[in-house]
Amino acid sequence: MIDLTWLFDLAARLLPFEVMQARFMQQALVALVLLAPMCAAMGVQVVNFRMAFFSDAISHTAFAGVAVGMLAGVDYRLSMVVFGVAVGLGIMALGRRLALSFDTVIGVFFAAVIAFGLAIVSRNRHVARSMQAFLYGDILTIGSDEILLLMGLLVALMVFQAVGYNRMLYLGVSPRLASAHRIRVRAYQYVFAALLSLVVIFSVWAVGVLLVTAMLVVPAAAARNFAHSAAGMFWWALVVGTTSAVAGLILSAQPWANCASGAAIVLCASAWFVVSLLPAILQRRRAD
Amino acid sequence: MPGITFDNVSVRLGGISILDSVTAEVPEASATAIIGPNGAGKTTLLLALLGHVPYSGTIRMGPNGGSVRLGYVPQRLDLDRGLPATVMDLMVCGRQRLPLWFGVRRKRRERAMELLTAVDAAHLARRRLGALSGGELQRVLLALAIQQEPHILVMDEPSSGVDVGGEHLLCELLESLRARHGFTQIMVTHDLSLVTAHATHVICLNRRVLGQGPIAETLTNDVLGATFGLHLGLADLHDIRAARGEPCSHPGCRHD
Repeated sequence: MIDLTWLFDLAARLLPFEVMQARFMQQALVALVLLAPMCAAMGVQVVNFRMAFFSDAISHTAFAGVAVGMLAGVDYRLSMVVFGVAVGLGIMALGRRLALSFDTVIGVFFAAVIAFGLAIVSRNRHVARSMQAFLYGDILTIGSDEILLLMGLLVALMVFQAVGYNRMLYLGVSPRLASAHRIRVRAYQYVFAALLSLVVIFSVWAVGVLLVTAMLVVPAAAARNFAHSAAGMFWWALVVGTTSAVAGLILSAQPWANCASGAAIVLCASAWFVVSLLPAILQRRRAD
Repeated sequence: MPGITFDNVSVRLGGISILDSVTAEVPEASATAIIGPNGAGKTTLLLALLGHVPYSGTIRMGPNGGSVRLGYVPQRLDLDRGLPATVMDLMVCGRQRLPLWFGVRRKRRERAMELLTAVDAAHLARRRLGALSGGELQRVLLALAIQQEPHILVMDEPSSGVDVGGEHLLCELLESLRARHGFTQIMVTHDLSLVTAHATHVICLNRRVLGQGPIAETLTNDVLGATFGLHLGLADLHDIRAARGEPCSHPGCRHD
């Protein structure tokens, strides 16, 4: 087991607030600094591909994934991840093959996984009580194991973004055009769906099922308003996502706030979005 | 440079026959137009060529059916107007390995500017894609297609969304690009004036092939009547007669 104590101590030194002296806050901060850039980077493509509903559906697989894991006696973290990625790839495979729109395919999966999760949860009160943590998220209980997993996921995701960011922009403009011009559209779509599913499932731990999509979409939406190019959108999303995560965590722990950290993070990102409306409005006026 | 052979190509979608045993040749280095009324299957034939719809039969490109580079200019893009991507971003995103977050390499930028200059769109390089007019976007997509150094340039309704002056410019541009790069050009259009002014070869399609060959020999009244039906009167027959070198009896005709 790799010792991450030095990293938690570093977090406390960099942000010398009173609330950051508790170890669980340091762990939460490190986890969020790993998770927020991932959400921001993937959020750029989620917005470009109009896939917010996709991430919503994956986040709701958490209930079914956890319930199946608990009932089968498997580690619920493993069952969540496997279930989430399987549903993500299933949506992509059917969406590509059927004449139905992606929205409809996602809607069918969404309904099915929620119904499946509810059916299992409603049979067992013990499982039902455990589900509340996934509804609102609980970044404060995250441990070193999960942080190491997040580090691995961050490396995989940044490799994908470094290799695929330009090609994914091509797909965002037109998958048909990209395919005609020899971009491997199918491969990029499947890898993106799998990685996005992983990011969504990890985000459920941080902010809960209800706010996962906001973690992805709000920083990217604000970045669209600030940016003038594809490069600008990426960097702005990272800035908005990461600063919102850090500020939200610290604010949520203040005695006067004392609220769920996930909600505070999304509120900070939403404040960024409001600020971003100003350059967007000015740009529109100049264009008119 | 390779041509294209469609051999007995049929497409059925949702139980409906869209293309019925289409057999046609696109000569090497030609500017071939596929014409026909709405619903004739013109775009479907292009999509089959691009591998975007399932079909039966055979489509051969190139002399040995080997690897062929395609450039594609779609009729329209369902473009997200809020996407903060510039024309330069689009030009380099399919070619550059370095992520765009680290900027555009000088070599890629210079090559993109050369191509944009060739289609009279150099001034659009820093403009957002969502702020382009129909004609501007069409020229940028043409530059993007040429960047593929294509053996075959595939265009779907290249003059849609372009005014008369723009259409004339587009025709001149395509001719000079084809002369310079030597590709085979295949385009779908229902604009007969574009065909007579620009194409060297034509395929008349209405679910099946009703005629094909050089313009002057193929666009006869019989073939056009069979392809377009009673609405033939709307076609610019003066241009067609002029292409055949025939005098026109129409009082206002400029070709007489």
